[in-house]
Amino acid sequence: MKSDTLNLAAVYTKIIIKSWFQYKVDAVLRSLAVFLREATGILVIYFTLLKFDSLNGWDMYELFFLFSLLFVTYGILIIFFTGLRDFGNTVRTGNFDRYILRPRGLLFQIIFSDADWFAAIGQGGLGIVLFVISAGKVEVVWNITTILYYTFAILGGVLIQGAIFLILATLNIYLIETMSIKELFYFNGKKFAGYPISIFHKAVQFCMVYIVPFAFVNYFPAQYLLQKEDMAYPRVYLYLTPVVGIGMYVMAYVFWRYSIKYYKSSGN
Amino acid sequence: MLTPYLAFARKSFLGRSAYRFNHFMGILNTIVQIFIFWEIYQALYHGRGEIDGVTMSMVTTNFVLSICLGAVFTVDDFYLPYRIGNGSIATELLLPVSFKGRMLADNLGNAVFQLVFHFIPALFVAAVVVGIDTPYSFPMFVLFIFSALLGYGVLWSISFAVQMSSFWLINVWSIVTIKNVFVNVLSGSMIPLWFMPDWMDSIMRFLPFSSIYFTPVQIYLGELSYREIGEKCMIQIIWIFLIYLLGNFLWERGKKKLVVQGG
Repeated sequence: MKSDTLNLAAVYTKIIIKSWFQYKVDAVLRSLAVFLREATGILVIYFTLLKFDSLNGWDMYELFFLFSLLFVTYGILIIFFTGLRDFGNTVRTGNFDRYILRPRGLLFQIIFSDADWFAAIGQGGLGIVLFVISAGKVEVVWNITTILYYTFAILGGVLIQGAIFLILATLNIYLIETMSIKELFYFNGKKFAGYPISIFHKAVQFCMVYIVPFAFVNYFPAQYLLQKEDMAYPRVYLYLTPVVGIGMYVMAYVFWRYSIKYYKSSGN
Repeated sequence: MLTPYLAFARKSFLGRSAYRFNHFMGILNTIVQIFIFWEIYQALYHGRGEIDGVTMSMVTTNFVLSICLGAVFTVDDFYLPYRIGNGSIATELLLPVSFKGRMLADNLGNAVFQLVFHFIPALFVAAVVVGIDTPYSFPMFVLFIFSALLGYGVLWSISFAVQMSSFWLINVWSIVTIKNVFVNVLSGSMIPLWFMPDWMDSIMRFLPFSSIYFTPVQIYLGELSYREIGEKCMIQIIWIFLIYLLGNFLWERGKKKLVVQGG
């Protein structure tokens, strides 16, 4: 049974990769376009910091490092959670009904039946580029402890955003159209989550720490590694990323299991 | 002569009013964006009065005006690609109205809607929350409006030319996305162009992007003499003309090779 499930996941993955890379030139262009679109914010920081040396004590490379955490986690996340990102569409078109009829777990099917490889390459690639540019320039001593910390922070960051995706996807069971909620809470937040939260208004900070906790994806992990002076939160937050990730994901999963009982098809 | 186009513009104006919730969210988005940029620059200025002669209130005005104008300057980049993709271009070309004229009318109807129901409320809220400089003088305000119209023309013709690639390519999304990266970074809506390094300045002189938002903003702030305004507006007109000619050349070539599959 166990190997059977793994086998199915592998088959799914093979088919998805084949279909996404069917048109090679197009695949390269699309990945490049995602890469450049996400790099817009980075270019803005680059030009701004050429003029202004530092932003609340963070220099250009430290900001790049902060952004890299966001992009690396998203690049990994989107390989697994594309199905949740596009779940609204799956429900609207009635495709979700087909999933229900199959003899496999729903979440298993949603996770493994699609992966946005262009976003993974474009955003993950940008994250890696930023990491490579900045990792040597920032004052981080890379040893076993920091490497382990970094790995767990990335996993926690993936889970946090995965949980947000799962919660937003679950809302589709109650509401038909959730695009603007998604836009407001997730994608809009992500645009600015790369900046050190200490520069923002208290209300914005509160959102980013306690409501849509992007701060645990990049700000607190970066704080642990870089030890900047603008840290205005309890030091324990620096270690909480994996805990917040697992906690949020479990909550999101319970919410999902509870809500799925109320699913009504939109199709006929 | 203009009547059918006015009807198209009116139709697209009315079509917009159907999605109230999304529209409201759009306004909220604009305001949040302005507010966040304002906070970033507050932190960058760190209480300093001015940097290279640019004050914080000039920066704020730049963001408020260009982001609010950005809400009005929404050109549908997929107008032609969509119609080529589903084949409806074939019937549209048979209509006794100019397709390009119809495209412009649809876009303008939308822009007028955004001006009334997005630009004005967002500008009002932004002025209350972050503040905005008043126009330098009344004549400058009039010239600002004139130059903003030309700025829309520049953006429209860029989109027009880029859309023409859909005659040759199946996927225009990538090209449109890359075009938008250039517009976002170089037009001044995400970084005030005063702060661009010198080497970028000299590159940007040969590109149309600063004509979109930055020229009108400079006029509004009274940074330019009448002579310079004349020059800058002339540059805007030349860009509109050149890019439109390029787009039109591609349009004529593309129309000849257009093959619509299926029906």
